[in-house]
Amino acid sequence: MRDPTFWILARATGLTAYTLMTVAVLAGLVLKSRPFGRALKAASVTDVHRFLSLLALGAVAIHGAALVLDSTVKIGPSALLVPGLAPYRPVWTGFGVVSAELAALIVLSFSLRGKIGAKAWRKLHWATYLVFAAATVHGLGAGTDSAHSWAFAFYLAAVGSVVFATAWRALTRTPRPTTQGGTRVRDRDRSLAL
Amino acid sequence: MYEIVIDRSLCSGFAACAELAPDVFEVDVGGKATVRVGRSDDPTVLDAAAACPMAAIQVIEREAA
Repeated sequence: MRDPTFWILARATGLTAYTLMTVAVLAGLVLKSRPFGRALKAASVTDVHRFLSLLALGAVAIHGAALVLDSTVKIGPSALLVPGLAPYRPVWTGFGVVSAELAALIVLSFSLRGKIGAKAWRKLHWATYLVFAAATVHGLGAGTDSAHSWAFAFYLAAVGSVVFATAWRALTRTPRPTTQGGTRVRDRDRSLAL
Repeated sequence: MYEIVIDRSLCSGFAACAELAPDVFEVDVGGKATVRVGRSDDPTVLDAAAACPMAAIQVIEREAA
């Protein structure tokens, strides 16, 4: 009988990676909108955001490795790098490959901020929305469990929370302390700039 | 009197400091925060330092000369 260990591992790490990425994105969005005010220290949220992003990438790496090691579907190492090369649901798995590669680039860019500059780094960070969208499409299209109602509810909750947090960040102003000495805080930068 | 030091290697241009204390901080053309004035009496600089997502701002309290 075929050993289902790697197949189950691949499915579990896929969902785990998606969960970690969603929470990482939410932590990133909280950095700007600060819905919890002073209760959360900005630098600590950054640490959580970075740590969860790395954990998500780690889960993606296990997800890919498990798919190569599993024999349910024939996925070679090259299919993990080239979108559309996997014989199993090639379009949907392709979304996963693009999402993972872009995510790796964004995580790597944090360490390269000194070289690429803060502005370019912030622009690249916008691609996180593409990563999230591609991962969602990948999960819904390629995921074995996506036909279940619980899986649909899971993706709906993730997308809903990210859309809500994005809207919150776009619409709410950064909490500002009462300024002293008649200093007025300039009313600017209410945009979505990171 | 507060002395303000920014570690620009940490700054990622979130501009939280410039939003909170625009008289003290500004974001330069490279997208990084700089100090307009190195010293200030305005306690808002403490909020700006706490709001920095990268913990790039250090505020040192000095006795007024």
